[in-house]
Amino acid sequence: MATAANRAARFEQLSPGEPLVTIRDASIAYSTRGRAATLAVDSVSIDIRKGEKFVILGPSGCGKSTLLTAIGGFIPLTSGSIKIDGEPVGSPSMDRIMVFQDFGQLLPWRTVLGNVTWGIRRRFPKMSRSEAQARARECIALVGLDRQSPQYPNTLSGGQKQRCALARAFAVAPALLLMDEPFGALDAINRERMQAELNRMLMEGARDMTVIFVTHDVNEAVHLGDRIMVMSRGPGRVRALIDNPHVGSPLFHTDAMPLAAELRELLKDTENTVS
Amino acid sequence: MKALAEGHNVSPEIIEKLRKPIVVAGLCLAWELVVRGMQVNPLLFPAFSDVVMHLAAGLGLGGSGELWGYIWDTLRVLLQAYAISVALAIFMTGLAVGNRWAREVLSVMTGIFQPLPSIALLPMAILWFGFSQESLIFVVVMSMLWPIASSLTVGFATVSPTLVRLGQNYELSRISLVTTVLVPSALPMMIAGLKVGWGFGWRTIVAAELVFGATGGGGGIGWFINNSRLFMNVADGFAGIMLVIIIGLATESLFIALQRLTTQRWGTETA
Repeated sequence: MATAANRAARFEQLSPGEPLVTIRDASIAYSTRGRAATLAVDSVSIDIRKGEKFVILGPSGCGKSTLLTAIGGFIPLTSGSIKIDGEPVGSPSMDRIMVFQDFGQLLPWRTVLGNVTWGIRRRFPKMSRSEAQARARECIALVGLDRQSPQYPNTLSGGQKQRCALARAFAVAPALLLMDEPFGALDAINRERMQAELNRMLMEGARDMTVIFVTHDVNEAVHLGDRIMVMSRGPGRVRALIDNPHVGSPLFHTDAMPLAAELRELLKDTENTVS
Repeated sequence: MKALAEGHNVSPEIIEKLRKPIVVAGLCLAWELVVRGMQVNPLLFPAFSDVVMHLAAGLGLGGSGELWGYIWDTLRVLLQAYAISVALAIFMTGLAVGNRWAREVLSVMTGIFQPLPSIALLPMAILWFGFSQESLIFVVVMSMLWPIASSLTVGFATVSPTLVRLGQNYELSRISLVTTVLVPSALPMMIAGLKVGWGFGWRTIVAAELVFGATGGGGGIGWFINNSRLFMNVADGFAGIMLVIIIGLATESLFIALQRLTTQRWGTETA
């Protein structure tokens, strides 16, 4: 645990703007038994700066989730390297917390409060139970779940489950927050509500946190990302890297429309490259 | 008629709750009336009230209380067999999770032994172990082990990959991943398997005891039922049967209570 704390302390010393995540020529191939390996991610090189909200945008099946999963340390690279603050990524760690698309990422046998407290007590084992619960309550309030905190996950809606997962991730205060289309399985109305609220939550609860957000939704990308990396499909490559001046502007804001249209065109092109 | 119905004003919920007790009471009453009214020979089929009297006496209400001894003999063997079965099932499932060959072996063995009523193995067990407690334990283990092992395997195989990743993300060790994620995830299937296993074992041991008692010479509720016929204490035999039913229902409701406390509350019930 001490090493995790040390690592966290070193992240603090990095000033905003310096690269936190350095990806060099990262390739990931899947080998299905009996078949030749298929390349999901092909020589991606990118620097992700400390404190920025970085969006990876691409059509489904372009390898964006695979890349994120590798940054999380859940799967190995076939070649190339991913370094966090100069250190190669090893196994998954609480410095890099993943928020999944799957609603089933909450422990069903713990309440909302129990899930968030569980995360805190994993990360800060020396923290007293009452202190951990107080911290959990703050994070639950931040995501607007106060009233649901004694409920079990099976009584929550999809949106509420994702809010709870966010609260648990914020509470752990990771250096890097990895979000794998967390709103992808929500209905349209809830998705837009969560997109609009996520910026507020990040500002209030995780201002210094570096976030990598994977999505196939152009408006989501424009709303959330300081920078947007567009990936092409088959195999996944970096097609464009765009600075986004419209980050944080309301969804579907007219100023952001040209950029959204441009991104949409880029995505269409990447669709066409598939043979 | 309408006024009368309104006047009674019994809420549908109460009727719903009373339906089962009313049916049970009705069946008991019918049993009593048919036996008494048609003057059935009590040596063939005693009246309900006689059976209840014998049951009460057997349990110590104005009688010897000898039934407790028989129940304990049966449960003692059953609990030993249960402990052995659960331990073996966990061991075999553990092997099967880690190794494809072990998984195939377990799957084939389960496939072979699940359809076999293990009481059919009793003659062989007697050949190997004699008229002994070991023979009883053997057939009961053979009846419990396979359903428990197969539901454990299914339980572990269906744990959500997302939860496993969550565990990895929060740096759980292998052992704590098992105890904090895998076991609670597999709990619905585990409880179902334990329930089915217990039910199989309960049927098997009563059947086996009809052939001989737990310690060769005597003991066991099935032994008691068979002896009651032998000595023409037919009402005692019926009391024994009633007791087997009551214990079966009681353990069933224990498992249901366990489910209510855990998987039902969490909404992870599969059935």
